[in-house]
Amino acid sequence: MLSRSAERLYWLARYLERTENIARLVNVHMNLLMDLPKGVEMGWRQLILINASQEEFAQKYTIANERNITRFLLADNTYSGSLISSLSAARENIRTTRELLPDEAWEQVNEMYLFAKKNLDTVSNRRQRVLFLNEILRSCQRFTGLLSGYMSHNHPYRFIRLGRSIERADMTSRILDLASLLLSESRSEEVRQYEAILWMNILKALNALLMYRQQMHSRINGDDVLNFLLQDEDLPSSVGCCISVLLDCINKLPNNDDLPQTLIELQAYVKAIDTRQTTQKQLRGILDNLQNKLGDFHNKVADNWFLSV
Amino acid sequence: MKSIWNNYKTDNAYDELMCSEFQSRSVSHHLCQYLDSLKKEDIDKRKIAAELAIIEMGISFTVYSEEGNIDRAWPFDIIPRTIDAKEWRIIEKGLKQRLTALNLFISDVYGEQAFIKAGKMPAEIITSSKNFRKECIGVKPRHNVWANICGTDLVRDKDGIMYVLEDNLRVPSGVSYMLENRVITKRVFPELLQDIDVLPIDDYPTHLLDMLSSIAPNQTDKCTCAVLTPGIYNSAYFEHAYLAQQIGAQLVEGNDLVVNDDNCVYMRTIKGLEKIDVIYRRIDDDFLDPEVFRPDSTLGVRGLMRAWKAGNVALANAPGAGVADDKVVYAYVPEMIRYYLNEEPILPNVPTYLCSNPDELAYVLEHLAELVVKPANESGGYGMLVGPHATLKEVEEFRKIIQKDPRNYIAQPTLSISTAPTLCKGKLEPRHIDLRPFILQGEKTFVTAGGLTRVALKKGSLVVNSSQGGGSKDTWIINMGGS
Repeated sequence: MLSRSAERLYWLARYLERTENIARLVNVHMNLLMDLPKGVEMGWRQLILINASQEEFAQKYTIANERNITRFLLADNTYSGSLISSLSAARENIRTTRELLPDEAWEQVNEMYLFAKKNLDTVSNRRQRVLFLNEILRSCQRFTGLLSGYMSHNHPYRFIRLGRSIERADMTSRILDLASLLLSESRSEEVRQYEAILWMNILKALNALLMYRQQMHSRINGDDVLNFLLQDEDLPSSVGCCISVLLDCINKLPNNDDLPQTLIELQAYVKAIDTRQTTQKQLRGILDNLQNKLGDFHNKVADNWFLSV
Repeated sequence: MKSIWNNYKTDNAYDELMCSEFQSRSVSHHLCQYLDSLKKEDIDKRKIAAELAIIEMGISFTVYSEEGNIDRAWPFDIIPRTIDAKEWRIIEKGLKQRLTALNLFISDVYGEQAFIKAGKMPAEIITSSKNFRKECIGVKPRHNVWANICGTDLVRDKDGIMYVLEDNLRVPSGVSYMLENRVITKRVFPELLQDIDVLPIDDYPTHLLDMLSSIAPNQTDKCTCAVLTPGIYNSAYFEHAYLAQQIGAQLVEGNDLVVNDDNCVYMRTIKGLEKIDVIYRRIDDDFLDPEVFRPDSTLGVRGLMRAWKAGNVALANAPGAGVADDKVVYAYVPEMIRYYLNEEPILPNVPTYLCSNPDELAYVLEHLAELVVKPANESGGYGMLVGPHATLKEVEEFRKIIQKDPRNYIAQPTLSISTAPTLCKGKLEPRHIDLRPFILQGEKTFVTAGGLTRVALKKGSLVVNSSQGGGSKDTWIINMGGS
């Protein structure tokens, strides 16, 4: 397999995962805001915080309201972290690797892109936005299903899984980071009252609510959710599970050098997190660190397999 | 009910589907009857369905413009063009004959040059050809075949005879559109394809892979093939990616490849370097290897010519094959067929005046307003003069251009190329068309059943190139029963 193709498939998967994540995040956030009473200090700005793009947003918009923030996150093709930018980048990557994927894979992504481009203007309207996001989510799921059902689980497939899992682990840790921020001590009682609703929406944002209920058999509480999303071994969006997938792929790839060792250490790091013993502030430090370690791992993957230009 | 055939005028050209305004040809009878039975709205619906399919399948080509490169949807006309299988069998034979002779000629040019020594062609034509590569002298590609993939342009004149307009032996494109056109037609007219016995075309990728495998330097092992593309900004990138996918080859760009000291070609993979046996290259000779050809080329691979000459890698088409893709050399093809094969040409050439020949030049200059003048080495329909359609000023300007460089120009009578009904604003109107079949030659020779029919969508226009407002149609070779 060409190094160039490995790199493009990896990014294809990352960008598609990002597209799906943004769509789900905005969707869930809309629902969350509908549940919370007026006046609670939580708004659309949190979405900008998750993506660490406060500065870029401030350069383009003066008011952080729903209209501006959804446009920025979904439809702004000059912001590289937006849904449409991620989707365009995914399309460029698959356009140059379509010979490695099942026939329909390219059509799937191309159709999704054409749909998004055509309907970008509708996202400022709430009802239309729901329809838009649902279609994007469905298309992403179709793509994932198509590959898992019809593509040989070969090296190209492994690079797709690598990209998807890194992006996913990164997003899960970002969302948990935000939750910790919201619940840190300085927050008012009013938010705390709605803590369960917040955690429920965190689970929804990662499509993990149902799985949580089946697994934990308990009412929703912060510690359990954190544990579940960090360490559960069966939930595909948990950080621990993402790392297991990474390890599984890496072990089967040629020339993997010291990468398995790096991942085993990362796995131990995540396992050692004890949410009951840490303050919110410590937890934020741990999650930050986790994101850095994932960044380092990405660099090693790139050094090892991608075309060095 | 108003028929979509209303006021269909067959013009002054041969129409492929209709013998008169009211009468369909027997080969297109079923199709015409069917079209007649559809309401205008039905036709519109199918046209829209086809356009949607093209956008969703992402069938595109890139147009270069000052504002940057634009990816355009492939313009497609849903009404198929029909040819009787009985006629096709003869054309097929003619195409095989022609490519066989052309390959013998190219081998001869880079070998002993017997054709020239026998006085059949002046040596200057070769020595002055832009596409003659002296680096190729003495090389012997497998099966003695240089042009493995050929796209030959055919046109039918008023007299109903199919002429060869040109042989594209460098990097002919269009075959992916031929294949995709059929996929779309199957979606748009599924009922028709069931009733009419249309020869299938989707075995092309299989034959392409067979041909590429048959030229691999080492015939004992499984061979590794790659399609070498100039990259995403090339107008035919869609096709490069499509073909690589269809034959299960690696799609590579120049910097994916490296030639080592052992004169073998390797690609950079996740496992390290991996050897390549056959390269289907879609890059012109000029850019293929900066060591030998243009030193500023960033698209090619340094050392590729060394590897090819050492016999460690096969290139399709072979470098230098373009020497026979020259409109001056074209004029000699009938003679080549007689000389090398001892046969009479099955497919005729369009009569061609060579401006390098003083007598013929005089004739051309005198009759410029009636002739089509073409540069010997351009493709894509650029830099030519269509006398009857040109202004007096354009004719005079062209006169100077020809006089400056007569070797580089040829002239042909303006053919009244055939038409086919084409959907224009909900009505059928005749539009001029040509046909590009694709011929593969390696160990064996294969011709596509039909080819890519290109259509000049502008009324009266004779230019079918997609870069200049042309579109395409599905081509149906129809088995009428009986032998």
